[in-house]
Amino acid sequence: MNFSFTKEQELIQRMAKEYAEKNIDPVAQQIDIENQIPAEIIEGLGELDLFGIPFSDEYGGAGSGYATYVLAMEQIAAASSGVGMIISAHTLGLGAIDAFGNEEQKKKYMPKSCKGEHIVSFAFTEPGTGSDPKQITSTARKEGDYYILNGTKRFITNAGYPGPIVFFAKEEESGRVTGFIVEKFCEGYSISEPWEKLGMHGGPLLDVYLKDVKVPAENILGAIGQGYPILQYAISYGKVGVSSAALGGALAAFNEAVKYAKEKTHRDQPIAKFQSTKLNIATIAEKYEAIRWLTYRLGYLADNVKDPVQFAKDAALTKDFVCEQIVDICKLAVSVHGSYGLMKDYKVERLWRDAIMGLQIEGVSDMQKMIVAGVILGM
Amino acid sequence: MNIVVAMKQIPDLQQIRIRNRQPVFDDVPLTIGDIDKNALEAAVNLKEGTDANIIVLSAGNEDVEDTIKEALAAGADEAFLILDDDLEDAESSQIATILAAGLKKMDDVSLILFGEGSGDNYSGQVGSRVAELMDLPQVGYVSTIEVNGNVAKVTRSLEDVEEVIEVELPAVISVMAGINEPRIPSVTQILKAGKKPKEVLELDDIEIDLGAATIETNSNLAPESDRKKIVVKSVDELVEKLTAENLIGR
Repeated sequence: MNFSFTKEQELIQRMAKEYAEKNIDPVAQQIDIENQIPAEIIEGLGELDLFGIPFSDEYGGAGSGYATYVLAMEQIAAASSGVGMIISAHTLGLGAIDAFGNEEQKKKYMPKSCKGEHIVSFAFTEPGTGSDPKQITSTARKEGDYYILNGTKRFITNAGYPGPIVFFAKEEESGRVTGFIVEKFCEGYSISEPWEKLGMHGGPLLDVYLKDVKVPAENILGAIGQGYPILQYAISYGKVGVSSAALGGALAAFNEAVKYAKEKTHRDQPIAKFQSTKLNIATIAEKYEAIRWLTYRLGYLADNVKDPVQFAKDAALTKDFVCEQIVDICKLAVSVHGSYGLMKDYKVERLWRDAIMGLQIEGVSDMQKMIVAGVILGM
Repeated sequence: MNIVVAMKQIPDLQQIRIRNRQPVFDDVPLTIGDIDKNALEAAVNLKEGTDANIIVLSAGNEDVEDTIKEALAAGADEAFLILDDDLEDAESSQIATILAAGLKKMDDVSLILFGEGSGDNYSGQVGSRVAELMDLPQVGYVSTIEVNGNVAKVTRSLEDVEEVIEVELPAVISVMAGINEPRIPSVTQILKAGKKPKEVLELDDIEIDLGAATIETNSNLAPESDRKKIVVKSVDELVEKLTAENLIGR
């Protein structure tokens, strides 16, 4: 057993930390208030190849795998979970194209996406459905060599950035859910204003409307009727990103709690000397270490999948546990701060709001538990 | 034209723990000193638009071979390393002797860049010592460098004055931290760093006998400081106290 990283992984982790501390952290509060990531941050992340870490260099990626992606994501999301959310959702969508796209599709859509010139979206959820493919109402009607897509998608991350969107619709002839690669902002593509949400500001969630959007049949991702397997696969990999982003929030909360405990004085001594503070810090440390290694392990598993069903279980288990623990960690970090922890002048206030988002996105906690139990019990 | 940048492997200062008033180095990742990174960035900037080749030169234990990838990712074209476990605690004069011996094995060296001081001990001696051993001109405290032909025009930033100096190449130049903002390497540059050319020598290859160290470090501690805990109730009182402490109004 070996818990160490390669020198390259260590350097990539340090590079992401340095970039985040220099460029994202100083504007993180502004991102939270304005719900908007400055364009130069997206450009900077692209220049550092952070939009294509796991993907093959043949398609413009860095070819460094999901284990490295986890290390970088943790550091970026520690500065801003909104930025982490953009990369996570992008990697989820791009991962679907990487896994199910044909050679032409990969060559067409992946290089610009790996460089961050295009930001990918993944559109399954609709106003009347969560993750149940049977409830999908978006349609794909065949007309010659084209499909005409119609439908509304809800809570779609990155829908306002140019690039491909993986759009799921019922193919009318077969009645089966099918994935299509659509270029955002094509004729018939429109979006809502971003939803005003509790946390993860800057990571934009929008509704997407497709009105008679015409795409060539060659834009089918995988095969007709393969939509649900694509969803299952991509969402499992997406949980690597969500877990890493949550881990970043936990790291930030941990650091903030330790810093405050040492700086804040009461009766002429730092509150770090008080037993209640020590107990809180120790509990944060225990929880952080547990979710850290669980998430790093998920990155390793994502690079070494032998049984996709087991991987789906491990991804669900990790996402659920990490996202539950980070809420506890942030609550404890707020406790260390006392009433100040609820004030917007202190980072932990934002971190706590961001943490709560993790319980709901990419599948709610109960759903993750159902996946875990389903695989373990076989029913 | 070769630009050589001398870089020192140091422990990641942010991750050093202090126990019983002593630094603990176990499990601390190794990196390169911050000002050394400024020297490399200066070389990368000078290289732009020329056919110059940047060689990173370092001496230390065998870990340097891995640590130096950071420099290769950040723009160095190749590495020239002198590695020996005996070098782990080598003092400045010994390192300068080894680096000078390494430099003598290189051709067409126009410029040798150092950071003003290393990230750990900051003795600031090695650049000057190498210049002396190589019989080359040396300029320290440099905040700008321009190269025209075989002359470098540099700004030397001293406490109260800035000197502009022209120095004939080859020369040794030690740069200050403020000379530039080192670039952050991309994921791809980091991954490709290990594939760049690397020449690794041992002490025997440069025929250097380190000899016995002449400096013994007794302790390595930050100075202790006591807070005076003076409470003031007005700006006037603050000014009065600071003046009394000779901190303002000198």
